[in-house]
Amino acid sequence: MLILPLFPNYQKALTQTAAEIQAGNLVVFPSDTVYILAVDPSNQSAVNKLLAFKNRWPGKAISIAVLDVNMAQKYAYLNQNTLDLYQNLFPGPFTIISPGKNLLARGIEAENQSLGIRIPNSPPVLDLLKILKKPITATSANLSGRTPHYSISAFLKTLSLKKQSLISLVVDAGVLPRNKPSTVIDALESDLKILRPGQILLSPDHQIISNSETETSQVAKHLLNKIKNYSPLKPIVFLLSGDLGCGKTVFARALAKNLGVTQKILSPTFVIYNHYSLSHPTLKSFYHFDLYRLKNDFEFKEIHFFEHFNCSSIYALEWPENMGQKNLNKLKKITTTIPILFHYLGPTQRQISFTLPQP
Amino acid sequence: MYLLGIETSCDDTCAAVLSDQKILSNVISSQVNLHAQWGGVVPDIAKRAHQQRIEPVVKTALNRAKLNIQDIDIIAVTQGPGLAIALSVGLNFAKSLALEHQKKIIGVNHVEGHLLSNFLQNRRGLPLRSQSFPALSLTVSGGHTKIVLIHHIGQYQIIGETLDDAAGEALDKSAKLIGLGYPGGPAIERLAKTGRPDFLTLPSPLPDKKILDYSFSGLKTAFYYQIKDWPKSKIAKNLPDLAASIQNAVFSTLLRKFELAIQKTQPKLLLLSGGVASNLTLRRKMRLLAKKYSLPIYMPFKKELNTDNAAMIALVAFYKAQKQQFSDPDTLDVNANLEL
Repeated sequence: MLILPLFPNYQKALTQTAAEIQAGNLVVFPSDTVYILAVDPSNQSAVNKLLAFKNRWPGKAISIAVLDVNMAQKYAYLNQNTLDLYQNLFPGPFTIISPGKNLLARGIEAENQSLGIRIPNSPPVLDLLKILKKPITATSANLSGRTPHYSISAFLKTLSLKKQSLISLVVDAGVLPRNKPSTVIDALESDLKILRPGQILLSPDHQIISNSETETSQVAKHLLNKIKNYSPLKPIVFLLSGDLGCGKTVFARALAKNLGVTQKILSPTFVIYNHYSLSHPTLKSFYHFDLYRLKNDFEFKEIHFFEHFNCSSIYALEWPENMGQKNLNKLKKITTTIPILFHYLGPTQRQISFTLPQP
Repeated sequence: MYLLGIETSCDDTCAAVLSDQKILSNVISSQVNLHAQWGGVVPDIAKRAHQQRIEPVVKTALNRAKLNIQDIDIIAVTQGPGLAIALSVGLNFAKSLALEHQKKIIGVNHVEGHLLSNFLQNRRGLPLRSQSFPALSLTVSGGHTKIVLIHHIGQYQIIGETLDDAAGEALDKSAKLIGLGYPGGPAIERLAKTGRPDFLTLPSPLPDKKILDYSFSGLKTAFYYQIKDWPKSKIAKNLPDLAASIQNAVFSTLLRKFELAIQKTQPKLLLLSGGVASNLTLRRKMRLLAKKYSLPIYMPFKKELNTDNAAMIALVAFYKAQKQQFSDPDTLDVNANLEL
C-alpha cells in the first residue's frame, strides 16, 4: 500500500490513481463528502476486491461517481424527473438511485437492478473521471456498518493488515471538512424517497430542509457552485421569496460568506440595498437588495432599479414580488434569475425550494 | 471657531452652524412626508430630494446663524456610513463650497456624530456637561444599534453591535406587521403606554452573557409567527398589548446587553443617542440603569439631536480641528460602509 499526497503534485497523483484503477486496483480517494473507495466498476475482480474489503453482502448496491449526465445515461435509465433532479442537485452531496442498465460488474447494482449515481462537487474526483473517461465506485471508505472517515490515519487505524493489503494506493488530502455523507435519493418510482439523510436534507416533496444557519449555508454553497453553468454575459440574481422571518436574510448572508465577504451582513431594509466588494476572479460586487418597502411599478422607475445590474456583480434580492410581474419579466430577460422559496416549518426549521433554470 | 456642518447620509438633508460646541442653527429638512408614501427610504428619491434641498438648507442654516459663508472657518461633511448616492450629494456640495471659498474641510463619520451629540450645547453654552472617560455609549436608530466605549474623544472601541437588524428596524417592521404604517416607532411608543408588556412571550436573543452583540431579527420573527394567523379584528383589539410586548422585548434586550457592557468596561459616564433615544420609555429605563450603577447619564439635550442632524457632524469636526485633523479635499470621498 502506497500513501501519496494529493498536493503538491496534483496531476501526478491523478495520473497514478487513474493507472491503479485501470489496473483493477483499489484506491482510497478524497471526495466532497468523505474519503471514498474507488475501483473500476466494470472490472469484476476489482469489484470483488472492494466487496471483500467492505464485508458487504452481495445484493446491496455500491454507488458510482460519474462526470456528467451523459456518462450517467450510459449506465442507467434517467426519466424526466430524474433529469430535473440532476439539473438541480448535481454536482453536489447527493446520490440518486435509478434503474441500471446492467452494464457494470456484479455487486454494483442492487438485486433489483437499481444503481446509485453521484456527481460529486469535488474537483479531484471530476478531474480523475476526465482522465478515466469512465465511472469509479464512490462508496465511503469504511467497513459496512461503521462510520465514515475524514482522515487517512483514522481510517487506516481501524483496518487489519489483511484489509490494508487489499488497498493499492491511498491518496491523502489531509483531514476533510466534517461534511456528512451524501443524501441518498431513491428515484425509482415517481415518488422520491430519501434513503439516507446527508449534509443537505430533502423533504418528502423534494425540497431542501434546513435545521440551522450552517445547513442553510451548505445550500447557499451548493447553489453558488451551480452558477458556473450559466452565461457570464448575464448577471446572476437570487430571488428570495417567503414570509417575514423565514430565513431570506440568513440565506443572503450565507451567499455573501461563501463569496468571501468578511464584513457583517446587516439587513438592507432601511437602505434598500447594501453593496459589498468581492476579491473574486470574475465577480467584483455582491448586492443585497430588500424590496420590502417598495410597492408599485411607479416606485421602481423612480429608483432606476435596472441600472444596478451588471455582469461583474452577483445579486440577492429579497421580496421580489414587490416589483410586480412586468418588472419581474424584464429582470428575467436581462439577468439569470434563480428563484428560491423559503417556508417556515418550525422555530429552527425552514424549507428551501429552488428551481434552477436551463443553462 | 465657526463650523458649517452638512449631513445627507440617509433621508434627511441637514445643515447646521456651530460656534465651537454651541449650536447657532440646526436645519433638518425632514423628508418623512416624501417617504411616507413609500414606506421607507429609497435611495434615488433621497438623492433627488437632497439635490433639490441642499442649497436652500445650507442657506437657511447660515441665515439663522446670522453669518455669511465667508465667516465660516471649517466645513464638516458626513463621509459615511449611509447610502452612497445620498452621501455623495452632501460631500460634493461641501467640496465645491470649500473650493470656492477657500475653506478647510473635514470628513466625518456619521456614527461618531451620534456618539458625541451629547456634548452639543445651545447658543448660550448650555448644558454644561463634564466629559469623563471612558464613557459607554448606546446608539439606537433605524439603521444602527451599537455599544461603543469612548476612551477619549477620537478613540472608540465597539463593544457590541447588531448582527442583523437594527433595533429601530425591528420596531418599524413589527409596527408594519400590525398595520401601524411607517415610521412605526412613534406609533409603537404611543400604543405601548396602555398595553401589557407581558402579553406575548418573546425570546431574549443571544442569551450568552459573554456576547455583547445584538440580534433583533429573531425577535421580529417570533413576534410575526405568534400573530400571523390572527384575524385582523383580534390584532386591532390587542394593539396596545402587542405594541407594549414588542417594545418591551426590544428594550429589555438593549438594556440587558448594555448592563453587561457596563459591568465589563467599568465606565465613568453613560451616553444614549440615535432616533430611538427619543422614546420616553427607553429614556426612563436607561436612567434607572444609570442610577443602579451610580453613573451619570447624558442624552442629547433636544429631541432633534437624537435623529440625524448636521450639528453633531460639525461638532465632531470641531474636535478634529483642534487636533489639526483636516481632510484633503482632493482625496475626500464617500464611504458607504465606513467603520468607526
